[in-house]
Amino acid sequence: MTTRWIATGLCHDLPNGVVMAGRWHDTELAVWRSASGKLAAWKDRCPHRGMRLSHGFVRGETLSCIYHGWVYGTDGGCKHIPAHPSLVPPKAIRAEAFSCVALDGVLWLAPADVSEAPPRLGGLRPVRSLSLTCGLAALMAAESALAGKDILRGSVTFGGHAVEICLLVQPKPDGITLHALCGASADLVAVSRWLEALRFKAEEKVAE
Amino acid sequence: MIRLYDYVLSASCYKVRLMASLVGLKLEHEAVDFHPGLEHKSAAFRQMNPAGTLPVLMDGDLILTESTAMLVYLARMSGPEWLGPDTPQALAQVQQWLAFSGRLAASLGRARLHDMLLYPGDIDALRRDGHDALRELEAALTERRFAGRDWLVGDAPSIADIACFPNVALSQDGGVVLDDYPAIRLWSLSIRSLDRFVEMPGIHRLHELRPAPVEV
Repeated sequence: MTTRWIATGLCHDLPNGVVMAGRWHDTELAVWRSASGKLAAWKDRCPHRGMRLSHGFVRGETLSCIYHGWVYGTDGGCKHIPAHPSLVPPKAIRAEAFSCVALDGVLWLAPADVSEAPPRLGGLRPVRSLSLTCGLAALMAAESALAGKDILRGSVTFGGHAVEICLLVQPKPDGITLHALCGASADLVAVSRWLEALRFKAEEKVAE
Repeated sequence: MIRLYDYVLSASCYKVRLMASLVGLKLEHEAVDFHPGLEHKSAAFRQMNPAGTLPVLMDGDLILTESTAMLVYLARMSGPEWLGPDTPQALAQVQQWLAFSGRLAASLGRARLHDMLLYPGDIDALRRDGHDALRELEAALTERRFAGRDWLVGDAPSIADIACFPNVALSQDGGVVLDDYPAIRLWSLSIRSLDRFVEMPGIHRLHELRPAPVEV
């Protein structure tokens, strides 16, 4: 079964009160956490003038568009329009929501009607996200120890130790983004540097 | 009073304005018609700065023409804690980032000048070099975060952070998007959250730090 969930980031990169840009295949999203930690993901387009909501800002339990300050609650509904302070915004004005879940340190996205739960990655430690300008084929060619399609797993040896590695693959138009996790006892700095080297090798495969 | 020959849209001039504000120093601003007037290339301006570049900082007989040197001067004058920890490692690391900020200017900064003010240049190469520099910065900040640190050197913000911040924050003006750099995003939020942070066109302050305006 192929899952409709795609990892868009790691939880430690989205603290409370912050908004960031996310992506589900070709759909750009604004992913944000309210001050109290409520998570939401919407199409990255303000219903008013189409500005990217990921350029906006979080104040309390609301996300404001940076362009004209339209304020949206965590349910996606517009709560306030600064230019018309006494108007109660019509219910039709709402951001288009996706499903967004934080699980095992990973931020997962899926269309709103998704029924299954995101994959579990228990016992692993989130490391970092990094983007590559090459595709999956070049990545697989660069590291034979990894197997899988959307979720690559394998045991990689560096610095004399075998380290369990899990890479969540997020497609993007000009390459892929990897969200990396590792075995609980691995050294984060060493894994991060291994990822840099892996990216270098994978991108070089394309240049060859 | 310290005088800054200044251009509002310049990342390097902003670097100095930001530093001055953070250490609580008031500067006298002398606006230079950088674009379209090319005043910084005039004979009169070149008498002061033969390189014909902005910013220029003048304090009595002292004339500085490199923005990183200006950061050192302002910090040493009014906020020595901004120089970073006084250890051989930290001093060298700060120098490393001050030099690195020159690479940001030569890539992201040039891409921005190309797109905004029609400067000549190979835009694809400039953007590629910009991403290379951003990857380096992202890797360094990621390792800093593993160690529980938010800043490039030491436990507190320093001139290293201020030197690198402007061209990174303005990179979208040159067509370089920061979506793929989560550690840089959080670092940028930390800088913009600093007390006495000042904005410039293209780098707005964090509206969420203040309560919503009350409507009348």
